Amino acid sequence: MPGPLDGYRVIEIAEGVAGPHTAMSLGDAGADVIKIEPPQGDRSRGWAPSLNGDSPVFRTLNRSKRGIVLDWSSEQDIETARRLLTQADVAVVDKYGLPPELGWEQLNAPGLVYCAISGFGPRGPWADHPISEIGTQMASEATSSLGNLGEPPVRHGSDIGSVFAANNAIQAICGALYARDDSDPSNPTGGQRVEVSLFGSLIAMRSTLWVALSNPDEWWGFHLDSYVKPPDHGYQCRDLPIYFSLARIRGEAFESLIDELDMAWARDHPDYDMLRTDGAGGAGRYAAELKPLWERGFANFDADQVMEIVERHGGWAFPMHDYERLSQDPQVAAVEAIIDLEQSDGPIMRQVAPPWDFEGTPVSTPTRPSPGLGEHQEEVLTELESLG
Amino acid sequence: MPGPLDGVRVFDLTLWMVGPWASTQLGALGADVIHIEQPSIDPRTLGAGVPPTINGTSIGYMTWNQNKRGLFLDLKSAADRQTAYELLQTCDVFLINMRPGAAERMGVGYEQVKAVNPDIIYTAITGWGEVGPMRDKPGADVQAQYFTGFWSVSGAEGGRPEVYRHMAQIDATTGNVAAQAVLMGLLARKRTGQGQRIHVGMLRAGMALQSGRIAENLSTGALHQPQGSAAFATAPDQALQCQWGDWIGISVTSEDEWQRFAAVMRASEAEVDGIDELATDPRWSTNRDRVARRIELADILQAGFLQRPRHYWMLRLSAAGIPCGYPISFETLQHHAQAIENQYLREVETSGWGNVWTGGAPWEFSTTPARWFGACLPGEHTGEILDELAAQRATADEPTPVIGD
Repeated sequence: MPGPLDGYRVIEIAEGVAGPHTAMSLGDAGADVIKIEPPQGDRSRGWAPSLNGDSPVFRTLNRSKRGIVLDWSSEQDIETARRLLTQADVAVVDKYGLPPELGWEQLNAPGLVYCAISGFGPRGPWADHPISEIGTQMASEATSSLGNLGEPPVRHGSDIGSVFAANNAIQAICGALYARDDSDPSNPTGGQRVEVSLFGSLIAMRSTLWVALSNPDEWWGFHLDSYVKPPDHGYQCRDLPIYFSLARIRGEAFESLIDELDMAWARDHPDYDMLRTDGAGGAGRYAAELKPLWERGFANFDADQVMEIVERHGGWAFPMHDYERLSQDPQVAAVEAIIDLEQSDGPIMRQVAPPWDFEGTPVSTPTRPSPGLGEHQEEVLTELESLG
Repeated sequence: MPGPLDGVRVFDLTLWMVGPWASTQLGALGADVIHIEQPSIDPRTLGAGVPPTINGTSIGYMTWNQNKRGLFLDLKSAADRQTAYELLQTCDVFLINMRPGAAERMGVGYEQVKAVNPDIIYTAITGWGEVGPMRDKPGADVQAQYFTGFWSVSGAEGGRPEVYRHMAQIDATTGNVAAQAVLMGLLARKRTGQGQRIHVGMLRAGMALQSGRIAENLSTGALHQPQGSAAFATAPDQALQCQWGDWIGISVTSEDEWQRFAAVMRASEAEVDGIDELATDPRWSTNRDRVARRIELADILQAGFLQRPRHYWMLRLSAAGIPCGYPISFETLQHHAQAIENQYLREVETSGWGNVWTGGAPWEFSTTPARWFGACLPGEHTGEILDELAAQRATADEPTPVIGD
C-alpha cells in the first residue's frame, strides 16, 4: 500500500541539511521527489567524513529522491527547472544560488506550494543572511544552554536549527497542500508561498523558556536554570554515566536505597536532608550541589547495577548512550529505528528510520537510496517531455 | 483568509508537553483544537507542575496549550463519556499521549473511537514505542536526550559531553513530528477516503532529529567527541572571538564560500602569518582537508578575527554572502528587528496569567496565515462547546450511537 503522500510530486532545489531533510521526509512518506543539483553537486557531498565519495549526511538526507543536474548558467536548464516546478505540487528551495527566474513571484505556478527555507526569515535586517547552523544557534540563544558562563560558546553538535526548520517546513507544506486541495471549488485557495527559517524555528523551540522568563512567581525552574547551572555530564558510575530520578522515593524506601548503594556515610553529611527531599536527576532544584554525593556512592557500582537498584526502589533510571551504544540497545531494535538501505553503488548503509507509523498507509523502509550526481537525468527529462 | 486547517477539529486528550505541543501546532495552522482536562484537575499539576509558575500555574501549561479551546470532561463518568463520543463525531483528529493501554481503559482506544467516527485520524504518541522492553517506561525530554545520544555530541572542546540544559527540544520535536503525521494522515484521507491510526514515539523522533550524526557513526564508526562551537562535517564552521571580546559564528560549507571567505580575510589586512594565502595554501584545498586540520586553521583565523571588531566582520562577511551570526540575549531579542519583524518572538494575552512572551508561529503563509493566541484556562470554553453540541444535536438526523463500556 502506498504511503500517505503518494501522488504528490516535489521538486527540491536545496543543499546541506534543512532543505534536503524536508524533501527526504516527504519522499519517505511516499511523494515523488526530484532533487535538482548544480554541476558540482550538493555541497554536502563534500562534507566529512567521506563515504564512497559522498558524506554520510548526504547519503542519509537524500534518500527517497531521484536526482538530476541543472546548470543555472544555461537558460535552457533554467527553463527546464521552471517547467518541472510548474508541473509539481511542492517546491523546496533555499537561497543557495537560486536564479531569480525561479522565485515564487516569477514562476506563475498557481497550484504550487513553494516552500522557501532561509537562515533568518523573509523580513528584517538579516533576511539575506545565508543559512548558518552556528550563526542561528547563537542568535537564538541556544548556545546559552550549553557550556560555562564566560567561556567560549558551545554549539549543539547535531544540526538542530536545520532539522527544526525542516520539521516546521514539512508541517507548513502539508498544511498548504491541505488548504489547496480542500478549498471550495468556487473560491480555490490554490498554491502559495510558505517561509520557514532556522532562526524562527530555534526561537519557537525555546518557547517554554520565553514564557518562564515572562514574569515568574519565583526565579527557579529547570528551564531558567539553563543560564546558571554548570554543564551536566550525567551521574558517573564506575563504568558509564546514567540519568536517574527519585521523585517518588521517600521514607523507608529511601533509607533502603542508601543502604544498598553503600552510602551510609551520607547520613552524617550536612546535606543529607536535602538529598532525601530533592528528588535528584537533572531536574532537581539542588541537583548540581548534590551530584558529588551521589557520584561518590555510584563510583562503587556499574551503571547497570545502579539502574537496577534505583528502579527496584521505585525510581527511574536511564542509560546515557552515545550513538554506538544507542544503535546496540534492544529497545532501538524493537521499534525498528534503524534500517538497512542498499546503496545504488552497492553496499548496505544503516540509517535512522522515518519517525511515523501509519497503520492505513504504511511508510515501509525507504527503498530508494540517495542518487548519484545526475543519476536520473534521462528518466526525469523524458517524463517531462511526455507531459508536454 | 483563515488558516490552512480551517474546518478541521481536533479532540486533544494530551498532557505534559509532547502531545500538547503537537496540538498547539495544529491550532496555529487554523484547526479548532479542543483541549480536554479532567474537571477535578489540581491546577498545581497542570503542565506537569513544571517550575516556575505564573500566578500559581506552571509555565508548562501556558506554553503548551496555546491556540486551543479548553473543555472539562470526566471520561470516567458515563454521561461525560457520551458527550465525548458526541464530540468525537464532529472531529477529524484524535490526539493522545499516554502509556499503551490507557486510552482503552478510558473508552477511547482506536476501536472504540473508530466505532463512533470511522474517518478519524487517530494519533497516539508514546515515549519509547508501543513494543519492546521499555514500552511501559515513562518518557520525558531529559531521558530522551540521554538515551538517544543527544547529549553526547556537545560540550567544550576536549571536555566531556553535556546535556542541553534547557529541556524541551526532544519533547517539542516529537510534537512536531506528530503534527506532521496528522497532516499527512489528513492528506491521505482525501485520496483514500479513510481514516487510520498513527503512532509516533519520542525515541524514533529524537533519533530522526539526529539522523545525520547517527549516520556518521553507523556508516564509518566515527564517535564524535565534543569540540566546542566547531562543526563535525565542515570547516571553518565555528565561533571566533573578535576585538573587544565579542563572539561571532561563521560557517563555510562549500568550496565557493571558502574562496569568498579567503578573500575577506585577505582584504582585512589582519597581520597573521598565512592569512593572505588561505585560498591557495594546499593545506586548505578541500572541506575535508580543512576538517582534518581544523584546529590548525582555527588558530590562524582566531588571530585574525581578534584584530577587528565584530561589526567589521559582520559587514564584510555579509557583503560576501558568508553565513554568520552572533549571540543575542532574550532581553535584546525582545526588541530585535529580526525577531519582531518576522513575529518569531511575541507577547500574547492570556486569560489567567497576564501577558506572556512566547515563540510565535515559525511559518509564514502567503495566502492562509497561521495564527497564535495565548493558552486557554483549563475548561475555559466548556459552556461554549457544550452549547455548540446541543445546537448540533437539535438539527441532527441520527442519534449518537451508544458505545458500551
